[in-house]
Amino acid sequence: MTVSPTARTAAPEPLAPGPPEPARRRRPSMLSRRGDRSFAWMLIVPVLVFFVVLNVVPLLWLAGLSFYRHTLISGRPPTFIGLDNYRAILTSSDLWGSFGTTFTFMALSVGGATILGALLGFLFWGSAKMPGRRLALTLLFTPMLLTPVSVGAFFRLMLDPNFGILNYFAGLVVGHKVDFLAQSSTAFPAVVLIDIWMWTPFMTLITLAALGSVPAAEMEAAAVDRLRWTTKLRRVILPNAKFILMLGILLRTIDAFKTTDQILLLTRGGPGSATELLGLRLYRLGFDSFDMGSASALAIVALLAAIGFTSLYLYVLNLKAEKT
Amino acid sequence: MTTGAGPRRVAYYALLWAMSLLFFSPVLWIILSAFKSPAQILAKDPVVIFEPTLANLADAFGRTEFVSTLINSIVLSSVAVVIAVVVSFLAAYSFSRFKPPGTDFLMFLLLSVRMVPAAATIIPIYLMFVALGWKNTHLGLIAFYAMFSIPFSLWILRGFIDGISRRFDETALVNGAGRLHVVFRVVLPQVKPGLMAAFVFNFIFVWNDYLFNYTVGGAATNNVPVTLAAGMYNVGGADWAFISSVTTIYLLPIVVIVFFFQKYLLVGMTFGTVRGEV
Repeated sequence: MTVSPTARTAAPEPLAPGPPEPARRRRPSMLSRRGDRSFAWMLIVPVLVFFVVLNVVPLLWLAGLSFYRHTLISGRPPTFIGLDNYRAILTSSDLWGSFGTTFTFMALSVGGATILGALLGFLFWGSAKMPGRRLALTLLFTPMLLTPVSVGAFFRLMLDPNFGILNYFAGLVVGHKVDFLAQSSTAFPAVVLIDIWMWTPFMTLITLAALGSVPAAEMEAAAVDRLRWTTKLRRVILPNAKFILMLGILLRTIDAFKTTDQILLLTRGGPGSATELLGLRLYRLGFDSFDMGSASALAIVALLAAIGFTSLYLYVLNLKAEKT
Repeated sequence: MTTGAGPRRVAYYALLWAMSLLFFSPVLWIILSAFKSPAQILAKDPVVIFEPTLANLADAFGRTEFVSTLINSIVLSSVAVVIAVVVSFLAAYSFSRFKPPGTDFLMFLLLSVRMVPAAATIIPIYLMFVALGWKNTHLGLIAFYAMFSIPFSLWILRGFIDGISRRFDETALVNGAGRLHVVFRVVLPQVKPGLMAAFVFNFIFVWNDYLFNYTVGGAATNNVPVTLAAGMYNVGGADWAFISSVTTIYLLPIVVIVFFFQKYLLVGMTFGTVRGEV
């Protein structure tokens, strides 16, 4: 029996009563039937069009451009310079500094958000009957729902040495006001702390999901055995929760790697290059200095890093799938 | 396990509320600023008690640069994300059921492309859009945002469709239903949570995007974050009354969406790889 795709107007029939015919049962799979291949491809075509036009073509463009000297404001046509852009990246201490800043930022920000988020997650575990829980969680999530531009803009006001509320508190604590964003010794910690504030709620969300995946029966058994809290954590909770936690941490790491918007508004990478993360550096290379060749080469490096992160993520995901 | 409203329970709940409010407090400060006069916002000592004014909000809605960009925000995020979710659903069905050659590789590639810093994506797109004349057009930006929303939608929806037994498809086919009937009438209704999750997550992303809109868009297509950033670099200093009121207005729909669709947030933010009750 072949059902053509055009038969879509056929009225839905009630499930066939009685035993299925042997002939139908022998059919190996619905997937081997004629016309399926073309149907399968038909469904993918729209996504493929988007993918080719807006991913593959730009990607090839980017890869090609990375071998050229191409500065938009110079008005000169691009000139082929081979691997020079890459060589410049690998030898520029400036750029290595940018990588260093990015990785320090990632480590501190992801670490901080993970610790705080996990603590909050544990705290919220078992609050299912709390009045107004949904509202409380929604309020807790607002830092990551706010437009990053608003975050950047408003923290600039709150940290302002004259009018900022945070500086008002700083004045109460240390006795004088501090221009946090003007000195590299305070600008970088400020940027990290703001990021931790933004993304702790995400790690709380992940922790809650991870704790939710611990089977209730195992928790009850642990309670019956009167296990100590640390033993319970090590033997019952972590083995069940670790995969979701790892996926969450990895996602947060990838996202921290991409951070651009709020820092653009907060410090624009300054003072000096104290807060110039890779994403910001890329943006400024392309759209402040219009040096598209170097920017493309750096973008390719960033893309390779992203492919690495994604592979790691999927590796952990497969571990999880194998275990459960 | 203890139940009932003992004093310990009350203290526990109070602690949780205090934590939520602590994280909310900077946002609350923005919202309070929206109801202050400009002088109160820039007071030397923080003004906590004041007579709220609606002047800033009224002023914001009276400005064309806000109203037109708000319309752009609404149009761009809803149209682009709906397109992305629809085409992703079709492809996700095909990937899940027929697994054409290269499926895994394509899924991997799509995810990787989505994981690079925004500027790396922007540079070639910017050059391409300028060359083709797509810059500063609604169609160009919608196509771009749709492309950007496809990877996560695809991952979310494939996970959901994988979770639906093929028996449903086969039973329907055996009973004479057409291919498209299976896709839209049998499978689609069962993945509604996946569709919601994909929509909510990508909507929030496009809604809050600044960098793409700023570089690839233009005066005709700018969204609210671009207006906000412009408000920072005003002649005569940042316009804080405007920034705080616009931020407040702009945050409200997202908060409402997350309040009502809270359970989809987790699925969306982990593109369907983590599911569970929160």
